[in-house]
Amino acid sequence: MADKVKTVAEVVQTVPDGSHIALGGFAINRCNIVVAHELIRQRKKNLTLSQGVVGLDTDLLVGAGLVSRLIMGGGSLDRFGPVHCVNRARETRSVDAHDYSSLTICFRYLAGALGLSFIPVKSLLSSEILERLEAGSAAKDIKRMKCPFTGEDYLLLRSLNPDISFVHVQIADRDGNSQIHGARWENEEQAKAGRRVIVITEELVPTEYIQRYPEQTIIPAHRVEAVIHQPYGAHPTAVFQCYDYDADHLKLYVNHSKTIERFPEYVNTYIWGTKNHWEYLDKVGGLPRMNELRADRILGY
Amino acid sequence: MPEVLASEIMAAAGARELRDGEVVVVGLGLPQVACVLAKRTHAPRLDALLEIGVMNMSPIDTAVGLADPRIWYRATCWSGFLDVMGMNVHRGVVDVGFLGALEIDRFGNINTTLVKDDSGRVRYVNGSAGGNDIASNAKRVIMIMRHEKRKLPEAVAYLTSPGFVGGRNRQELGLRGGGPHRVITDMAVLGFDADTHSATLVSLHPLARLEDVVENTGFPLHIPKEVPPTPLPSQEELRLLREEIDPKGVFLR
Repeated sequence: MADKVKTVAEVVQTVPDGSHIALGGFAINRCNIVVAHELIRQRKKNLTLSQGVVGLDTDLLVGAGLVSRLIMGGGSLDRFGPVHCVNRARETRSVDAHDYSSLTICFRYLAGALGLSFIPVKSLLSSEILERLEAGSAAKDIKRMKCPFTGEDYLLLRSLNPDISFVHVQIADRDGNSQIHGARWENEEQAKAGRRVIVITEELVPTEYIQRYPEQTIIPAHRVEAVIHQPYGAHPTAVFQCYDYDADHLKLYVNHSKTIERFPEYVNTYIWGTKNHWEYLDKVGGLPRMNELRADRILGY
Repeated sequence: MPEVLASEIMAAAGARELRDGEVVVVGLGLPQVACVLAKRTHAPRLDALLEIGVMNMSPIDTAVGLADPRIWYRATCWSGFLDVMGMNVHRGVVDVGFLGALEIDRFGNINTTLVKDDSGRVRYVNGSAGGNDIASNAKRVIMIMRHEKRKLPEAVAYLTSPGFVGGRNRQELGLRGGGPHRVITDMAVLGFDADTHSATLVSLHPLARLEDVVENTGFPLHIPKEVPPTPLPSQEELRLLREEIDPKGVFLR
């Protein structure tokens, strides 16, 4: 079997413009930063992004102009601020945003992962979220109906099967067996709904390690197309038990993202100005800074 | 002991709304503070859930949000949306959804999606995340927010999460959950009339004046003949809040 371990540049070369990409981050945790940076470096365009609670990965891609459609449940950078680029793009309608909720995005992925074409749900009823979805380009993805057994009101949601699901994990082996530690929001459903699944791992381990803790495997090897091994690949967002979020860099990011004038400066310095993630890590403080961010073994942050 | 802060009265009022043995889904900030206070006083068997997939955490450091592993510390379960929001909230086993909001209207509808300034310009904010799922499906919803006229409008600028939309009952709205129960502000505790589903004054915080509450509410608030004062936090509640739950005053300011 060919080795699944690839560089992010190799993987991103296989992403066609116009793809639907699911991103695995949540606000400031396990965001697909290494992938977002490379998508920007390779000037991908016209992407559809989906994510339960959008975070820094989506904000970067929207800010850099790669995204034409967003399927999202909400999002922020927690106390560091809002997702300014996403919010601005919605205000100027430069992206077609389909606004859902955390659970309804998760249910759409779940249906996709189970091979169902739709799923019923009791959320969004009698809300403006639903009215706006029905009034826009998302209308084809939702229907109201009554349960044929009980007569109860339901919303039916079309399943989501992203062209590619990217999930950042703590541990994977070369075959793609992937383990996630701590909370994992909709990562499992999102990955298993993907037509292609790519994992980005902090640590590459021998399969023998996976075999010692198989109950921690969330995404099994046969579903994974490629493994990108990139330590600190989610910086400046947190990876539980590996490193904390970089509060200084997140503040710096928000200082740039909050105006459309300053945002390109961030992209030029940290993404265009670096060839790859190792150069990026050097630019944001290198080994001394990464060492400061390393997680405490007991606390996990 | 120094003067009691409005946020401390809010946290204590929030805690008293929670009963022992209940399952609560909380957001970060005052809802989480109130939940910990309840757990440390009258409700030790309260189950606190976070939408991201965390149950019964015992944090020792202040988190910046649900994505901050500081708030996952010493949890009894780590899972995800499908478990917390699906198999608990959507399943209907969550007693209380404890939420913050940008705007709440007279029927308890919540806006967390956008704000409109005086010129009508729209600014987007966080959106629903788990808010709509919780408001739609929890048995009762408690909201916590500063009492300002623009935050308590006649109608929300965007209806993210339904309360009693148009004064209708929840069954008519197709919703399983019981809907809005309390709005805890820095001046008062509001409830909802069982027949009209419109907001009504439940109690007035000490030091707050009734005319200020009326003046700072953007819709006609029903004022019953007798309005009891909101109980002040006890000495022990204040000690817990100040020394153990939020010693740095991140949320209690």
